Amino acid sequence: MSTYMYKTKDQNPIDAVKTVLSAMLAKSQVDAVFVAARTPYAKLPMPALITSADKMDDVDPLAPAAPLNAARQASSILKYETGKKIALVLRPCEERALIELVKLNQCDIGNAVIIGMTCMGRMENGTYLKCLDDHEDLSISFYVKPDLQAHITTTCKSCDKFLSPNADITIDVTGMKDGIIGFLPQSEKGETLLSGLYLAREKTSTYREKTIEDMLKTRQKEKEQVMKAAKALLNPLENFQKTVATCLNCYNCRTACPVCYCKECVFLTDIFAHKPEVLFQRAKKKGAIKLPQDTSMFHLTRLSHMAHACVGCGHCSSVCPSGIPVADMFRAVAEEVQRLYQYEPGKDMHERPPYIAYREKNTFIEQGEDR
Amino acid sequence: MEQFEPKIIALVCNWCTYTAADLAGTSRLQYPANIRMIRMMCTGMIDSKYILKAFLSGADGVFVGGCHPGDCHYIDGNLKAGKRIPGVGKILEQFGFEPDRLKLKWIGASEGPEFQKYMTEFVDTIKTLGPSQVRDRMIL
Ligand code: SF4
Ligand code: SF4
Ligand code: FES
Repeated sequence: MSTYMYKTKDQNPIDAVKTVLSAMLAKSQVDAVFVAARTPYAKLPMPALITSADKMDDVDPLAPAAPLNAARQASSILKYETGKKIALVLRPCEERALIELVKLNQCDIGNAVIIGMTCMGRMENGTYLKCLDDHEDLSISFYVKPDLQAHITTTCKSCDKFLSPNADITIDVTGMKDGIIGFLPQSEKGETLLSGLYLAREKTSTYREKTIEDMLKTRQKEKEQVMKAAKALLNPLENFQKTVATCLNCYNCRTACPVCYCKECVFLTDIFAHKPEVLFQRAKKKGAIKLPQDTSMFHLTRLSHMAHACVGCGHCSSVCPSGIPVADMFRAVAEEVQRLYQYEPGKDMHERPPYIAYREKNTFIEQGEDR
Repeated sequence: MEQFEPKIIALVCNWCTYTAADLAGTSRLQYPANIRMIRMMCTGMIDSKYILKAFLSGADGVFVGGCHPGDCHYIDGNLKAGKRIPGVGKILEQFGFEPDRLKLKWIGASEGPEFQKYMTEFVDTIKTLGPSQVRDRMIL
């Protein structure tokens, strides 16, 4: 919407973000800020709910790490209308997941201010901590040094949705190699907020567009390769058996999934808690079975529940204790399912998910086609 | 060589396709014995798990039969099926199951001959495709 951005004067980027967020609180533009911050107990940033402008010291949304997709935590604060105005600093994949949760009536963001970012990616937790050992200022140097950027996750490397189109404000990091950070208003709401903060207003840098264009090219190319490799992990089914051979059925991937929101997940019900007789019967049928059972059933069922809504954040891979590339597989399947339903999760707040809008766009019904 | 006799699971709606099957029976219309029919109250209650489980347990094909659009006894259960089942098929396809192994058809209660025809056609299709990849593998 806008061709100009706001910036703070001569501050390092992290301080600039803190200045803007604290000013929003101090001026009572918002009641609280939801943003990644270091805690006294860990170097990895976790989502924090901050209500006091002087508690901004450890805020670190630019850290190239995210132990979880913050959408579900954000939705727990926005479960229902509380009358509180909250500014949420989210990565693009978190924003998309939050939008899906809104559509599923899990939360309400009518009163929220979404602050997105031009996302350069995140590292796996371990990688981040290792890099932090050598670079104390990692949240800044990451944006300056391409060799550090090379450490982001496979999913991030191949993510082509690194912008925050639905945010009210975007934190623009594309100028960080020159030490500049910008705040781009993307909605009326964002514009009003930023203009009330007395920041310097200037034209958007020309390299923003160029940087985004280059990034998109690289990422799309990478995505093609990752998706192609992923297909071979699934098809034929025997390949998939190899891919998930050491799956523990721990359901970490499901827990980490921001769009797997069910209060009572079917995998935690009696349906999958088999009696010994059932296991004996299965063993007898084939002569031998592997335990845990139902690994394939788990992954395929979960896909049938959420593939249309997969935002491709990669957190399922990050949390897998067996190093299974869950995200690569799920993204590859999701791409096909989303193409089938012509549905892009997180893109449009008003577009209803396919299984809710089953009366609409039902070509199968309309044309009397059969499967 | 022994001829391949596919195992096919048919999930059919009580109010239409199942009644059509009955009609086919009383009219002495023969259809292949490969079909294992499971009566459902409506296609809208067919959980994706039923289809996935059937395939992962070695079914060579799954047939879903429901009421024609507009005729569903629960108003729009068949529309839900019409939306959901192609998605399940798309997922199965990614794991190497041929799309033709999953079929959804609307068969009304009076359509005994149609029932016979679709079943025969489906069994033929599956016979051409051959046994499912799950058959003699250790699929877990
Ligand atoms: S796996 Fe299925 S049932 Fe479990 S939380 Fe996800 S969507 Fe819900
Ligand atoms: S996190 Fe990994 S081991 Fe655990 S259920 Fe998911 S794929 Fe299996
Ligand atoms: S009652 Fe037959 S499909 Fe719903």
